[in-house]
Amino acid sequence: MSTRFAALALATAVLSGGALAQEPDGKVLFQRHCAMCHNASGMGTGLLGRRMKPEVAELEKREDLSAAYVERFARIGVLNMPPITRGEIDDSGLKAIALYLSRGRP
Amino acid sequence: MATQPEVNAAAASRALKAIEAIVGADAVFTSQEDRDAYSDRFPVDARAHRPAGAVAPLTTEQVQAIVRVAAENKVPLWPISRGKNLGYGTSAPVLAGSIVLDLSRMKKIEIDVENATVLLEPGVGFYDLYDYLQTRNIPLWLSVPGNSWGSVIGNALDRGLGYTPYGEHTRNLCGMEVVLPDGDIVRTGMGAMPNAPTWNLHKYGYGPAFDQLFVQSNYGIVTKAGMWLMPTPECVLGFDVEMDRMEDLGPLIDTLGPLRREGVLQQSPTIGNWFRAANILTTRKQWTDKPGSLSDDVIAAIRKQFGLGWWGVSLRVYGRESIAKPSLAILEAALKAINPMAMKPFSWHPGDAVTPSAGGWMGVPMTFPLQSANWFGGRGGHIGFSPVLPQSGKLALEQFQRTYARYKEYGMDYQASFAFGERHMLNVNAVLLNLDDPEFMKRVDPFLRTLIADAAKYGYGEYRAHIDYMDTISDGYSFNNHALRRLAEKVKDALDPAGIIAPGKSGIWPAAYRKGAA
Repeated sequence: MSTRFAALALATAVLSGGALAQEPDGKVLFQRHCAMCHNASGMGTGLLGRRMKPEVAELEKREDLSAAYVERFARIGVLNMPPITRGEIDDSGLKAIALYLSRGRP
Repeated sequence: MATQPEVNAAAASRALKAIEAIVGADAVFTSQEDRDAYSDRFPVDARAHRPAGAVAPLTTEQVQAIVRVAAENKVPLWPISRGKNLGYGTSAPVLAGSIVLDLSRMKKIEIDVENATVLLEPGVGFYDLYDYLQTRNIPLWLSVPGNSWGSVIGNALDRGLGYTPYGEHTRNLCGMEVVLPDGDIVRTGMGAMPNAPTWNLHKYGYGPAFDQLFVQSNYGIVTKAGMWLMPTPECVLGFDVEMDRMEDLGPLIDTLGPLRREGVLQQSPTIGNWFRAANILTTRKQWTDKPGSLSDDVIAAIRKQFGLGWWGVSLRVYGRESIAKPSLAILEAALKAINPMAMKPFSWHPGDAVTPSAGGWMGVPMTFPLQSANWFGGRGGHIGFSPVLPQSGKLALEQFQRTYARYKEYGMDYQASFAFGERHMLNVNAVLLNLDDPEFMKRVDPFLRTLIADAAKYGYGEYRAHIDYMDTISDGYSFNNHALRRLAEKVKDALDPAGIIAPGKSGIWPAAYRKGAA
C-alpha cells in the first residue's frame, strides 16, 4: 500500500499545484468520514462485496474509481448508502477523498 | 396531530439568508440535493419531512445567534448531532420546511482520564471518540449501539442502547451545556457553579436536576455534554447461549432477570431471534422466492446454517478476574438449569484481538449490522417498534406470540430482540423495509399502527419513535386526559414561546402549531 500512497501523494500534489500545504488530506479524511463503512468489516464493504469481487470491495483497493463518480455517489447516496451531507464534509474535503480513492483520476 | 401545520417558506428563506452572516454562505445548504441529503433515508413517507435547508455552525456562539434569527423569523430549527438516526428519521425534521441545525462540525473532545469522563460536543461520533482513545492508549471504553455511525451525545439524547455495563447511554450523561430557545445558555448540574471541577462527576448539582429535561425533548439545544466512560476491565468473560424453542423465551427471561436485578449481570443482555445473522450476511433471495413471512422450513434452514437457536443471547461479565470468574460460574449454573441448546464460552483479556462480531460487547464501534438494509437485495432500511415491558417471561412470551402472529398476518419477516434494562426490558421489533416494492411499503404503516395499538391494550408503550410515529406514541401516554403531554406543552410554551426548537419532537408541539390542530 505504501507505494500506492506515495504515488497518490504525488498525483495529488500535481493536481493541487502549489497550494498543497492548505489542501485537505484525502487519506486522513477518508479514515475520518468513510472508513467506518468502507473498511474491511464495514457495512459498505459487506454490501459492495455482493456486487463485485470481495477482495476489491474495499474502496481503497479499487482501481476503477474516478473522482467525479465518488463525489456524485457520496452526495446523492446509492442503494443502501445514505447521502453524505455538506455539513458533514464540505466540497473541498470530499474532493480530496475522491482524488485519494481515484488515485488522482478526475 | 392529524394534519401537519405548514412552515412559512418565505420566512425560512429569510432566516437562511440571515444565518449566512453568522456561519458563512458555505455552511448554509439549500439546494434540492442538500434538502434531499438531509431527508429521511429509511422513510415510510419520504415526502412528509423534507427540510427547507440546513446550516452547520462550528461554535456554541453561532448556535445562539442562529436560534435568535430563527426566533425573529418564527422558523423552526431541527437540531441534529450527526444525523445518523437511521430508523428514527435520519436527519429529517418532523415538520417539513424546518431548517436542519447540523451540529456535526462541532467535534471537540475534552477527556478526564483519571475520572473516566469525557466532555463532548455533539458532532463527535462513536468512531471519533474510539479513535481518540485508541491512538492515545487511554484505558477507557465506550458503549456503542448496533449502528455506531452516529453521535455519542445524540444517541444518549435519544436514549440509545449498547451492550456493556454502560449500555443504557442516557444514564452516562452527566452535565450539559444547553442553548435555550431564547439564545440564553445554561450549564446544568455542577456546571452551574463557575469553575466547578465536578461538572461531569455529579449528576444532580443542587435543586432540580434538568439533564433529562433535554433528552428526547425540544426544550433546548445541547452543545456539550459530559459522559461517563468505562475503565478498561481486567477481563471480559461470558457465554453465547442458544435456546432451541420459541417457548424458551420465557424461562430465559426469568433466569436472567433476577441475575440482572441482583447485579451478577451488570451489562444489558439482548435476546435476539434466529434472524439476526441471516439478514446481515445474506439476502432473502438466497433462502426463498416466496412472499409473506419466512416459512418454518426457511427458518429451520437459516438456523441450521448459522447454528442458531430460536433465541440467542450473549452474556458478559466485566472487571476483575477474581470477581468475574465466580460470577460466570453463577451464570453457567443458572443457564444449565434451563437446558440451552448451546453455550459457547467467551474470554477476553487486554491484548487479545477483538473480532468485529464480538466488538459490540467490548465497546468497539460497528456498522456491519446495517447490512440488513439490503435484505431484499435492493434499497432497504429498517424501522422499529419497541415497547417497554417488565422482566417477566410470561408477559414477554405473550407479547412475542401476539407480535409474531401480526408479522405473519402482514407478511413481514420477524426480527426481534428483548433487551434488558435494570428493571425493564425493551422489546425491539425491527421491520426491514423494501423501498423498491411499493406494495410492500404500503403495508408498513398499517402494520406498525396495529402493533402500537395491540401493545397499548396491555399498557406497553414505546421508549423511542420514528418521526412518523411520535404523535401516535405520545397519544398512548394518556393518563388523566394526557396530563403528561399537557405538562410538556406548558414547559414548551414557557421556554420556547416562538415554537422554534424541533416542533413535534416526541409529540410535543408548541402553542403556535397546536392552534387549529385536529
